[in-house]
Amino acid sequence: MADQARAVLNADPMLSRFDPLPRIIYHDDFNRGLRGWVELIGNYEDSLDSMLPQYADMRPPMLSSGTHWDTGTHGAMQGTYSMKLATRARAGDISVSIKRVTWRHRGPVRLEAYFTFKPEASELKLSVDDVRAVGVLFDLQDEAYRWMPHWRYLNALEGEPVRSWQFKREREPFHDIGGRAETVSHFHLAPTGWENVPDSGQILCYNEVATKFNWYYLRMDLDLASRQITHLQCNDRVHDVTDVGPMMIPAMPNLDCMLNVAFWVETDVDKRAFLYVDSVLLSGEW
Amino acid sequence: MLRESYTAIVERSEELRGDFATEPYECGWAGEAIFFVRILEREGNLEGISLHVQISPDGIRWCDEGTSVALGEEEVAFCKVVHFGNWLRLSGRLPDGASIRAIIALSLKA
Repeated sequence: MADQARAVLNADPMLSRFDPLPRIIYHDDFNRGLRGWVELIGNYEDSLDSMLPQYADMRPPMLSSGTHWDTGTHGAMQGTYSMKLATRARAGDISVSIKRVTWRHRGPVRLEAYFTFKPEASELKLSVDDVRAVGVLFDLQDEAYRWMPHWRYLNALEGEPVRSWQFKREREPFHDIGGRAETVSHFHLAPTGWENVPDSGQILCYNEVATKFNWYYLRMDLDLASRQITHLQCNDRVHDVTDVGPMMIPAMPNLDCMLNVAFWVETDVDKRAFLYVDSVLLSGEW
Repeated sequence: MLRESYTAIVERSEELRGDFATEPYECGWAGEAIFFVRILEREGNLEGISLHVQISPDGIRWCDEGTSVALGEEEVAFCKVVHFGNWLRLSGRLPDGASIRAIIALSLKA
């Protein structure tokens, strides 16, 4: 980035902590509302009952002040509010929020975010293994493919700490929805088919108590032209993307130029798990 | 400055029976709220049944706020609430043999 452009970013405290590509597609600071982030819902026809059951209840996002029983309002990284995703108190439950736009140039894009995650502070225990995973995904389409890069931090699984980043390229089966042969659906967040990003163990700053927040930086770069994942980073760790790939699906009807981003959180125990996103910036190069 | 507003679907079509409560919803930024209860399906006798607004200091412990919404014969019922702190939920108790499937919308405005 040119020195002059960087200087302009550095002059804005809300932007100086990001490293965007030249065009900012969106910059969501949740002190200014939920800004187009919405609960993910599955496809349906005629009745909500036609939806794949895994999509029936992905919970609406909230504007959270990070308020706790012991210390009151923690706030966000900047300002008071972050976007909060909350699961139900049921092991394996997932909450997903999505933002839907389209791309205008098939080139590099970069997603950056500041986030943290915590279990509900309903027990006076460390609870460090209660959140199973947090993740981010893209849902993209060009003239030939719908492709879906998935990336998650597997914090713990069935009570055992994992602390590692994973990706998923294995496709889940499509199911016909309704009776008119117009709609299909697949549950791409299924627990099957996840693979380890090479050498991706990473300890994040949980900080001992469920009511303490430390915010993390996340960056994921893609090249829409070559359909490649080009960069995965959390805080100071840049992960090897050499063997990391997305789900690839032949292009589907009415999804042209789709550029969706979703965040999710999954709980490992019968306790709510929370993902907090302080801010998100999606940028592109054209 | 436009007033911020947001509608969260806090319950969608899941069968509710016995004692239940909607999931905690953080909305301390809002100054006013309406719970809309749209009944999709009903079973059993719901006469005299009301759902009660609850507030919380921490999203974990709850107390009745005093406002309630009566489930009548109409498809959509609602109640309004102000001065609710940081969390809201709706709780209810249905008699044996009664159940509902509903879309419960929490409509918030700064």
